[in-house]
Amino acid sequence: MEVRRWISSTTSLAAAALLLTAVPVVAHHSSAAAYDNTKKVEHQGTVTKVLLKNPHGFVYLDSTDEKGQKIEVVIEMGGATGMVRQGWTKDTLPIGSVVKVSGIPSRAPGSHGITEAKFTAPDGTPIAPTPRPEYTDR
Amino acid sequence: MRGTVGHVSLRRCFSACAVLLAVMIRPAPQELNAQVNPVATPIPDLAGIWDGGGRVRPTNSVSVPWAKTVPEGRALPDGTKADRNYVSNFPELNERALAYMKVFDEAISPKYDCQPSTPPALPYDPFHTEIVQWPDRVLFRYEKDDQLRTVWLDGRKPTAHDYGVQGFSVGRYEGNALLVETTNYVFDITGFDDYNGIPSSSLKRIRERYWREGNELKGTVTVEDPLFLRKPASYTARWLPAPRGYKLQPFDCDPELARISVQYIPPRYK
Repeated sequence: MEVRRWISSTTSLAAAALLLTAVPVVAHHSSAAAYDNTKKVEHQGTVTKVLLKNPHGFVYLDSTDEKGQKIEVVIEMGGATGMVRQGWTKDTLPIGSVVKVSGIPSRAPGSHGITEAKFTAPDGTPIAPTPRPEYTDR
Repeated sequence: MRGTVGHVSLRRCFSACAVLLAVMIRPAPQELNAQVNPVATPIPDLAGIWDGGGRVRPTNSVSVPWAKTVPEGRALPDGTKADRNYVSNFPELNERALAYMKVFDEAISPKYDCQPSTPPALPYDPFHTEIVQWPDRVLFRYEKDDQLRTVWLDGRKPTAHDYGVQGFSVGRYEGNALLVETTNYVFDITGFDDYNGIPSSSLKRIRERYWREGNELKGTVTVEDPLFLRKPASYTARWLPAPRGYKLQPFDCDPELARISVQYIPPRYK
């Protein structure tokens, strides 16, 4: 079946998008210098901006830190070209919507960056676009 | 009358003959064919838009396409699976390269200012590539970084004015494949790839071989750089045809967004 062959041939991140409903970030270059992949962080906040651009897209959330201070969380996504293939549009995360995000935190002290993000609605419902069908065919 | 042939002087006769001979034996006009070759060389059909994304091969990383070890059964860049006899293709670095890597500061990587990727990394970046075949050149249009490489088939050679980020490429068809050789690269602190922090020098030489296997495009990319590598290193990758109707998308690297993650890198030097 075509779907089985597609699952076996895609990257692990893309496979996670289907099986775990994580939002894949096709990081075609290293992010280890900026983000600490030994840690995980979670935030809940309001989407204020979605930028589908190259080399990376970004999603901005207004959130609060553990002390209740307002912070802006900046979520680094994949490049626009790859994200569109994965089904992302500007409406996948509507401006003003409240979402939860988990991922790998940025290294610099006091910063609130995230990469390899997984988005869910506040009730835990996964938010993940469906890859465009023309990219599921080998 | 002395010195005449009929009513025409010998001098005029000789002059006319000389002009006639000069016209008859002038050099033939230079042929404008690419790759002037007495033996017809088959030209493989490489034209089209090719997908090098995640559905086609493993996405590049610190161990793709350059891997020291690959677990048996793991997909390789060329679409095959690694067997137990996998041989490392990771480049052998000399002391100079290792010294550069040791002091390298990620924050100054040119990619954060939208400086484009180059081979050996560029052909493997997970984007589409369009190949256009003209008689005297082959064009490689890369979605990644909106790059265009021109491979000249007419025998021209680079000059000292032809140094650039993508170097100068010449090529020929041979044995159902396109062979490409690129030199004249400028020095690039991350000229090998985005992951391993390996630089490339102005002596970097890229050799590529592209051919068709059924509906797949295959390519072997070999990098030589005697200032940093002890010997050439190669990988072989595959591409699949892009979905019907697909057109290359503009990359339009945003310089402001490209630098955002630099703020998250703890400073290495003060």
